[in-house]
Amino acid sequence: MALKGLKLVGKPIKALQLRHVDAGSCNGCEQELTALGNGFYDMQHFGIDVVASPRHADGLVVTGPVTDTMKRPLVQDWDAVPEPKWLIALGDCAAGCGVFQDAYACHGGVDGMRTPDLVISGCPPKPQDILQKIALWRKTLG
Amino acid sequence: MIATLMTENDWAAHNVRRKNLGAHVLGVTAFAGGRISIHWLMPSGQIAEENWDMDGVEFPSLTVELPEVAWDEREIHDMFGYRPKGHPDLRALVRNPRWPDGFYPLAGPNAPSKPQWIEVAPNNPAQTVEGEGVTIMKVGPTHAGIIESGHFVFSIIGENILHVDLHLFQNHRGVEGQLQGRPIGSVWPLISRICGADTVSHQTNLAMAVEEMAGYQIPEEIQWQRILVLESERILSHLNDLAQIPAGVGFSVANQRALAMKERWQRGLEVIFGHRLLFDTVQAGKPLDVDIEALGTLIVELQREWRPWRSLVQGHHGFQDRMEGVGVVRQSDALRLGGQGIVARASGLTFDARQQMPLYEGWPLDYASETSGDVSSRFKVRLDEVEASWRLMERVLQRSRIHGALPVWEPPSDLAGQAVTFSESPHGLNAHIVAVDRGQVIRYHVRSGPFRNWPLLAKAVAGNAVGDFPLINKSFELCYSCLDR
Repeated sequence: MALKGLKLVGKPIKALQLRHVDAGSCNGCEQELTALGNGFYDMQHFGIDVVASPRHADGLVVTGPVTDTMKRPLVQDWDAVPEPKWLIALGDCAAGCGVFQDAYACHGGVDGMRTPDLVISGCPPKPQDILQKIALWRKTLG
Repeated sequence: MIATLMTENDWAAHNVRRKNLGAHVLGVTAFAGGRISIHWLMPSGQIAEENWDMDGVEFPSLTVELPEVAWDEREIHDMFGYRPKGHPDLRALVRNPRWPDGFYPLAGPNAPSKPQWIEVAPNNPAQTVEGEGVTIMKVGPTHAGIIESGHFVFSIIGENILHVDLHLFQNHRGVEGQLQGRPIGSVWPLISRICGADTVSHQTNLAMAVEEMAGYQIPEEIQWQRILVLESERILSHLNDLAQIPAGVGFSVANQRALAMKERWQRGLEVIFGHRLLFDTVQAGKPLDVDIEALGTLIVELQREWRPWRSLVQGHHGFQDRMEGVGVVRQSDALRLGGQGIVARASGLTFDARQQMPLYEGWPLDYASETSGDVSSRFKVRLDEVEASWRLMERVLQRSRIHGALPVWEPPSDLAGQAVTFSESPHGLNAHIVAVDRGQVIRYHVRSGPFRNWPLLAKAVAGNAVGDFPLINKSFELCYSCLDR
């Protein structure tokens, strides 16, 4: 039985534990991500949660246009997430189409680090859109 | 360059005199070409200006006489390379070791291009306490939750915080630089997104700046609409902060019920103003399309949930105990460091920029103030301000019922001049210093409420248990994005 369990390693899981990294957000995406924890959306009910450590996470959810100062902490957080792992760009800034693209201290989204596995656009995206997009995308993982 | 007739002593004396008259610093603004301007909001509501024209790259620091400008001067040093002579702590504030030598983003007239960053860690030297039994605890810049990024270096002994050194500006995007050289008509989406929590205040400041430069007076109906959207934002932001404080002590029921009120409020705002966080709502000279009936109903619905919730939190002795005496801001510190907004009003100060805003003239408004300066006072001020805001909104809505079609004004494309505008954001006095020539931004400086309050947070946590830091932090609920820009 233990061996059967081990076969799951490397395959997508149904629950999704995410670590959040703010890489220069205006706090709009944070507010809407926080709203997913209120009783209207209750993301935990769907097996989705924001966890305290990248080592406990299945992936990162990144907000903001990736400021230069946050670039290294972001990469370090990504490296600390165990494989298999996924990268979610939340909001237009992280997706590379936000209004701060051209600012001198911005790297223009997460793409410079790695192509995101899921892009949730919007400025900020509405909570129900975030939840729906994550739910649909999770199904495609098998 | 214009030779200055002011001596260093005059510079200090003039500005200290303003402070002693009860004025508030709106901004310490540097301009390419070597001018430093300090704008003061006088108790009369007038804006006074003191200018220092540099001969070279040095200007006299005022930090010793006016400690509240310590960060402003450090920021000018980082962004322009101008040196505040005599500054007691000229460590980098915004810059870090990744910034190339000689890269001063705001020193030129145009938007700076992206530099070649140096491949090192962005860590700046920290100020810590040394001694037997002192432990250094570093937190951030990323955090164990859904929180903006900031780095904190705590010096702790046992359970208690001796000192915290704030390493903020991790989220520095370079907004002021990005604005330079842009047509003023194209900056709305950027200004709207400086901060997701104080966006209406920022938009209103820009609108007032454009109207002031053009000499346009908006009709009173549009003024009323602006009050409605500003107060809607205050309630939204306060509901958020009022939800976070109980979360800081594990009081989940109060947290969840406040989050539910916030969600309903946001859903209503989306229907009425078109955006859940009120982005892109205020425009220069343009009326808003406000559904008066719907807004009135939304307020009534909020009140229905609010009253039992307020009884719950105020009647919960355990919760009250956890807030009392924690994270005290002394009135003298709030005054000396120029504290703003709720943080100042919870420490016995009564300043609220709405008292000076022409927009609010003639409207009765109940100003909240508490005296103990602790988490409990900051919580209480927010409670009272939510109710004061809806009372004001109800009055405005009553008068707003009858109006015809409102005129739409277009700002001229060759706008020129300088304007200093301010408003009371949910997080305190928020000022914009805007200079425009032939329709293009020459300089755009943003000085939001959190800028003055962050140093006070460091003061307030010293002597408290390290485990109470999240609670104290949430009771300030300072935006990082407003500060970092």
